[in-house]
Amino acid sequence: MKGWLEWFKTHLHWFVFLALEATSLVMLFRFNIFHHSVWATQTNAVVAKVLEWESDMHSYLQLKEANEQLVDENLVLMHNNQILRDELAALKHDTSYVETLMLEHLADVKMIPARVISNSVRMKDNIITLDKGTLDGVREEMGVVSGTGVVGIVYQCSPHYSLVLPILNSHSSISCRLRGTDFFGSLTWKGGSTLDAYLNGIPLHARFRVGDVVETSGHSSVFPEGIFVGKVSEVLSSADGTSYELKVRLSVDIATLRNVNVIENPEKAELDTLRANIVRTEAL
Amino acid sequence: MIIENIKRLWQLILLLALQVLLMNHIHIMGYGSPLVYVALLLYFPVNSNRIVTLLWSFALGALVDMFSNTPGLSAAAMTFVAFLQPNWLKMWTPKDSLEDMTPNYRTMGVWNHLRYLTVILLFHHVAYFLLESFSFYNLPDLGMAAGISFGLSWASVVVLEILRYGR
Repeated sequence: MKGWLEWFKTHLHWFVFLALEATSLVMLFRFNIFHHSVWATQTNAVVAKVLEWESDMHSYLQLKEANEQLVDENLVLMHNNQILRDELAALKHDTSYVETLMLEHLADVKMIPARVISNSVRMKDNIITLDKGTLDGVREEMGVVSGTGVVGIVYQCSPHYSLVLPILNSHSSISCRLRGTDFFGSLTWKGGSTLDAYLNGIPLHARFRVGDVVETSGHSSVFPEGIFVGKVSEVLSSADGTSYELKVRLSVDIATLRNVNVIENPEKAELDTLRANIVRTEAL
Repeated sequence: MIIENIKRLWQLILLLALQVLLMNHIHIMGYGSPLVYVALLLYFPVNSNRIVTLLWSFALGALVDMFSNTPGLSAAAMTFVAFLQPNWLKMWTPKDSLEDMTPNYRTMGVWNHLRYLTVILLFHHVAYFLLESFSFYNLPDLGMAAGISFGLSWASVVVLEILRYGR
């Protein structure tokens, strides 16, 4: 008995080691399976506050750059606005129906502006933290866009902060289509460059060119249809050879992201209920 | 004992701040960032309590994880290296040194200390990147990230050591 106790004393550090290692590994793998470890991540209030101060400091230093970018964006927008207004004017003499239709479409979509307070691009499962949470109306499964295109999907919220699963995460999959066609597939990321993602599942009889625009399909109800994602930069064939795999150059540089909008789609709840009903009917 | 712990806490806060506020923002070619917090393991003297070493390392790893959204990753790698660290330190400690020698290149000699530092960083990075990419099939990218990150960490830790003890 005494010898056994001695042995236990001299080997105590083995048990401490195993306990700590087990704790770490449970945290590591549990986080990927469930999304409830709020305290262990940047949604933790103290951690988020520190990161917010830091982000404030950074954005102050980058004001000049941000300003230039805004001016550029403004020019482009003014130009686009003019083109659209001309087109609208051309259409309007037929019918004022187009205008009402467009306004209706936009009225459905509510945007919640948010700021990125932490971002990573180094991992295979990158996460973005935003400074808006449930109290600001952000909910899980909402889409996130920036001024130039799609960023990702909200997957965890605390009252003041939320975590976003960006395109640059191996678990992200966003339903996209080629603009002007109805061919759609899912957009995934395979690591490596933060500007390239892959669109899978485009059938072999689809006709398109390198440089064609990839946009959201609206099938998933997270994003309304027609939001810019990127452009086709290379055409490859999928591993099993039954469809195309398109390399897509993303329009958003997620590595330098600051300001984003969370999209609230009021039709989502309705759509989800419908889909749940279908599943239930099939199960019967 | 208390003074020792206060010193350790101070080192932990400094390394955490350095990692989270500075190093996490350095991405060379979109790949590696330096993981400088590993330096904490270099500060434990010979014959220090192994359990204490394990607990400090786990704590720092877990804190870095909180700030980097990687729960468990750094903590697992740090604990792993903290478990092996005393063996390497014993191996390269000169025979005639003090009972509680603090390892640096004055007490150990430049060559021994560099070997000690390199092995600690190497094991940490291998553990870290293998755990991070548990299901990653993109092997060249993984090697690239680990390699770049290791190089950057190595340089930062050597600079830190020089700052601590002078040339």
